[in-house]
Amino acid sequence: MNYKPDEGALISYLYGELSAAEASKVHAYLEANPEELKKLQSLGYTKNVLAQVQDKEVIAPPIFMDDTKVVSFWQNSYFKTVMSIAASLLFIMVAGKLLGTEINYTEGELKISFSGKKEQPTPLIQPSLTEEKVQEMIQSSLANNNEVITTNWTEDQKRLSQSISYNLAQNSKKIDALMKTASDASQEQVRGFVASLQNDNLKLMKDYFQLSAADQKKYTEGLLVDFSEYLKEQRRQDLMMLQTRVTSIEKNTDQFKQETEQILASIISSPVSKINKNSY
Amino acid sequence: MAETLLDIAMMHSDSLIARAREGDKNAQGKLVQLWYKRIYNFSYKFFFDHDLAMEVSQKTFISMHKNIARLQEVTRFKSWLYTIAVNYCREEARKKKNNRALSLDNMRPGESEESYRWEESHHRRENPERQLRHSELSDILQKCLMELSAEQREVVIMKEYEGLKFREIAETLNISENTVKSRMYYGLEGLKKILEEKKITKETIGYEL
Repeated sequence: MNYKPDEGALISYLYGELSAAEASKVHAYLEANPEELKKLQSLGYTKNVLAQVQDKEVIAPPIFMDDTKVVSFWQNSYFKTVMSIAASLLFIMVAGKLLGTEINYTEGELKISFSGKKEQPTPLIQPSLTEEKVQEMIQSSLANNNEVITTNWTEDQKRLSQSISYNLAQNSKKIDALMKTASDASQEQVRGFVASLQNDNLKLMKDYFQLSAADQKKYTEGLLVDFSEYLKEQRRQDLMMLQTRVTSIEKNTDQFKQETEQILASIISSPVSKINKNSY
Repeated sequence: MAETLLDIAMMHSDSLIARAREGDKNAQGKLVQLWYKRIYNFSYKFFFDHDLAMEVSQKTFISMHKNIARLQEVTRFKSWLYTIAVNYCREEARKKKNNRALSLDNMRPGESEESYRWEESHHRRENPERQLRHSELSDILQKCLMELSAEQREVVIMKEYEGLKFREIAETLNISENTVKSRMYYGLEGLKKILEEKKITKETIGYEL
């Protein structure tokens, strides 16, 4: 069975708005597809929950409608607009008339005047200088100017070169003098420095030798003392060794003596028995 | 949803609509009385806001008065009226989006004995505690509805609470029936997830009720 109802069919089935044939088809499909049935049941449950929303009680207020309302021509908004514009224009015209306003536009000039006073025309100024004259004046003034500038410039240049050469000569002299004094000073300083360096070195050497001689003396003295002590110790130890040797020899001699005595005693005490045995 | 006398009257109001269309002020007034609660509740569920719902309801019925003469088919009165309401709801939603001022009405009183929810209760003879719980649950579910997109919300409200057929909703919103069904399907699925997130199950509701 390939029939699969769409969402529209399912929702119509839920609200019972399907035809009997369609409803049976959907019913069969839902029986075959328990998952879809479960889904639809959950929507049905949601629908039932929604039914818990209560209606609000409300009293209808009286609504009065005046259908016979006729808008007169005077009340018409278009009429009002046109009238207001006309009134404004009229007001401006009357005000203009009363104030004697005159508005002129001539040769790119807008002139607004009140009280009807005519403006006095400004007198034309006659030109006293021609164009050629002006040109000549400019050229002559330019020529004068150029002359003045060139003379000034050459004078300035001369002065400048003179002052530069003078300054250079002065400076070179100063530098030479400075160099000379600097070289003299440096020779004397070097000599003094070398002499002082020699003195210092001499002193240093003297001190060093003095110090080292005293140290060596101390060291040899210490060495001699140590050596004599060592010899003393050696002799003492040798003496001790000799003493112990002597004592040990004494002991041995005593022991030998005793043994000999014992042997002699034993020989003396048993000659008779031995002789008797030998005789038999 | 059990049908009340008002529902029955609404369903058999063709002659009333016909008379209203011909300019009968009395019939128009009766239509307002019949449909005001429905339009108010539709708007209330759309905004979860009493003031906005009142605003939309009044504008809807003013528009109905003005334009009912242009209604071509009496049978389409219901979807026509809801179209007006939906348009005003969308308009108010746009205004609300542009002007996010804090309404004093949003600052609801706490759940004390002075709470107006006691006053709201119309089932005075029922157990007050049970009624309060029902009202709380109703508000929670209303908040869940508000989490849906406006497109899905208007379809869910029209179908679930206003009882419009899919065809009528399609007519009202001027969209295809399949789009309506698709929005409804995904709206319900979205609500299912929201309820699961808020742990509103069969058991909890059973306990509450």
